[in-house]
Amino acid sequence: MTRLVPLAACMVAVAIPAIAANPAPFAPAVTFYRHIAPVIYRNCAPCHRPGESGPFSLLTYEDVKRRASQIAAVTKRRYMPPWLAEPGYGDFVEERRLRDAQIQLIQEWVKQGSPAGSMADAPPAPKFTSEWQLGTPDMVLHVAQPYQLSADGPEVFWNFVIAVPIKTARWVKAIEIRPGNARVIHHASVILDRSRSARRREKTPGAGFAGMDLAVAETTFDPDSSFLAWKPGSVPAAEPDGMAWRADPGMDLVFNVHLRPSGKAESVNPSIGLYFTDKPRTKFAMLVELEHDGAIDISAGERDYLVSDDFRTPLDVTVLAVYPHAHYLCKLMEGYATLPDGTRKWLIRIPEWDLNWQGVYHFKEPVFLPRGSVISMRYHYDNSANNVRNPNKPQKRVRGGSQANDEMGNLWLQVLPVEEGDQRAVLQEALMRRLFEKYPEDFTANFNLGDLLLSQGNAAGAVPYFERAWKAEPRSALAATELGTALASASRMPEAIQHFKRALELDPQFTDARYDLASAEGASGQWEPAVSDFSQVLKERPEDAKAQQHLGEVLFTWGDELASAGHDEQAVERYREALAYRPDDAELRTRLGVALARLGRLHEARVELEAALRIDPNSEPAKKALAAVRAQATAK
Amino acid sequence: MAAVLSGLPLVAGGATGTSAPTDLAGNVVQLFNTSSSKTTVLIFVRTDCPISNRYAPELERLYKEFASSAAFYLVYADATNTVDVIRKHMSEYGYTFGALRDPGHELVKLARARVTPEAAVFSARGQLLYHGRIDNRYVDFGKAMPQPTKRDLEEALQSVLAGKPVGVASTPAIGCFLADVR
Repeated sequence: MTRLVPLAACMVAVAIPAIAANPAPFAPAVTFYRHIAPVIYRNCAPCHRPGESGPFSLLTYEDVKRRASQIAAVTKRRYMPPWLAEPGYGDFVEERRLRDAQIQLIQEWVKQGSPAGSMADAPPAPKFTSEWQLGTPDMVLHVAQPYQLSADGPEVFWNFVIAVPIKTARWVKAIEIRPGNARVIHHASVILDRSRSARRREKTPGAGFAGMDLAVAETTFDPDSSFLAWKPGSVPAAEPDGMAWRADPGMDLVFNVHLRPSGKAESVNPSIGLYFTDKPRTKFAMLVELEHDGAIDISAGERDYLVSDDFRTPLDVTVLAVYPHAHYLCKLMEGYATLPDGTRKWLIRIPEWDLNWQGVYHFKEPVFLPRGSVISMRYHYDNSANNVRNPNKPQKRVRGGSQANDEMGNLWLQVLPVEEGDQRAVLQEALMRRLFEKYPEDFTANFNLGDLLLSQGNAAGAVPYFERAWKAEPRSALAATELGTALASASRMPEAIQHFKRALELDPQFTDARYDLASAEGASGQWEPAVSDFSQVLKERPEDAKAQQHLGEVLFTWGDELASAGHDEQAVERYREALAYRPDDAELRTRLGVALARLGRLHEARVELEAALRIDPNSEPAKKALAAVRAQATAK
Repeated sequence: MAAVLSGLPLVAGGATGTSAPTDLAGNVVQLFNTSSSKTTVLIFVRTDCPISNRYAPELERLYKEFASSAAFYLVYADATNTVDVIRKHMSEYGYTFGALRDPGHELVKLARARVTPEAAVFSARGQLLYHGRIDNRYVDFGKAMPQPTKRDLEEALQSVLAGKPVGVASTPAIGCFLADVR
């Protein structure tokens, strides 16, 4: 297979006008219409046209002639078109890169005085739409308040929070991002915020907030399966068949933009088009992150600092896309996989990282990695004065973090397991184990591993993970509750109750914790508090069917206990209370009837026993009890 | 009215041609004079150059700093830029100082300017004392420091106005080529 690649490259080279390769004594005439226009239209015009990110249009001979030597200079240095990835280290859909021969052609054209040539040679003018490229969206989302970018100043990282006004869950097959003011936006990405957590960071609703990388690590891309991003020149595309993502009612989209002042005040007013489908997801891709931000600690002046991470895939997977990210100190980025047989498969190599041109790279052909392959990132950072982008003058020690003056190093991968069905839990477990190796005290790693063990029925094993998670975030009611759950499942009920109570001290409105507490109290025979707590749960969530059922059970069991201790009168009260939650429970009505009979309240006993038999005509205990009651009544 | 800029012809033989530099009222300008003229700063810009546009706030700041002792002019050397286009550009980017049209690139030649933005500082008698970048923020195309570490134009002007020689009389500028709009 790999042999085909150089062959294909050869054929392309042959197809180019033989300018560079032709050492003829007189250079052949290079004209705009014949030679230059096809290169410009294809590679430059997508951004260099009205409304797009390029600072001027390159759509006509006049447009190009007026920047001819500029174009020659910036293409020769490969500043334009901007393309960070090194060829030969990954084959990407988005590639926009001139071949050497094309660059040489432009040089020659300018040297010859940038002649127009004959219009008869002109290729068709490029056709672009100023409308939505994917057609009219099913739903268009606007930001609440445009961002006002000052004329001057540092680069700005801004987040818009946008509600998705849907009443039922919808499958989204595509989004199209319209930047609104493409010339100042360098990059934009959309983060799904199902818990509406980002909203809390706005000073007033709709105001948005500043921030480079959203510090909601556990929800940033989870359970996201697709990269939702925009960069200059990017062409919107639908997700592959079967890979729609779910939009939930009440969710927010957080729209994160990287802005650079242009010299004049600018209003930034982006919008997002959503395209729905009725086809639910059948392929479960997952975004996998390699990183080691917690270890980043680069001393001032350090010229080559390495950040690395490795992840062994537990499944046969294909990698569909990669998204490398770092801030200003990173120079060289390498991402590759080492297959079980030892061969190296490159994913991406960026020899000169530039945050301004960051983006998502989709593979032309998905990269297959067999189970056991190790995916590696090796990023190199320069914190010396040699790095002109160094934000710190003089240089200072830099550590991992989400601010522009901190550093990061991520290699995100969009991974699709080969086996059908939802395999994400397997990937998630491997990722969390790796996270735990890197950060043994980390909240997310410990919490998720605890959850995983719990779901596998290993409650005792889960306890120490939840203990560490709670230690990492002692204010987390959720961590205290999960620890309680693990303790309860491990039959350590008194400790479980203690942790549920602690969770409720941290967050008295945390109904889940109260439910767990009530359940634990019920299981421990602490009837009164169990009833009180379940009742409170039902005040907070009146429709909670499970709470209703369990409250009925507690009252029923409590009644049994009272009855067997000879307290029939109290038992009757509990049974009657239980009936409110279990009106169709024949057994409950039978016990109530029996207790009533013992108290000599024969008429009431008969009513309950007859009711029990209406529910379950074959109930032997009810039949027997009713016969006894009738006999007793007759005897009287 | 820019007629105060009378005096010595700017470029021998060029001042009366159709491509001679003019102010926005269309008057041919002659910048250097032995009696009334001041230190003169020319800033070469293009309306479509993202690098020179990004410098607008900094250039306006420098103008305000030196307005009392030096004459500042934006120079639009693109022959296709009409007066209306220039005025609109200046208003969009908040420029409050004067502007000249230089369709024949006479000022470009005089200032030895190559790109936009590029600055030239002349003595009252028309001697070129500094030409080159505004500051060292741009290192290459697409490669800029968050903040400049050397403000070359500002330093040159401070020296000139203090009657001292300019430390570095010529620096390389990064920007958009003037030759393309010849």
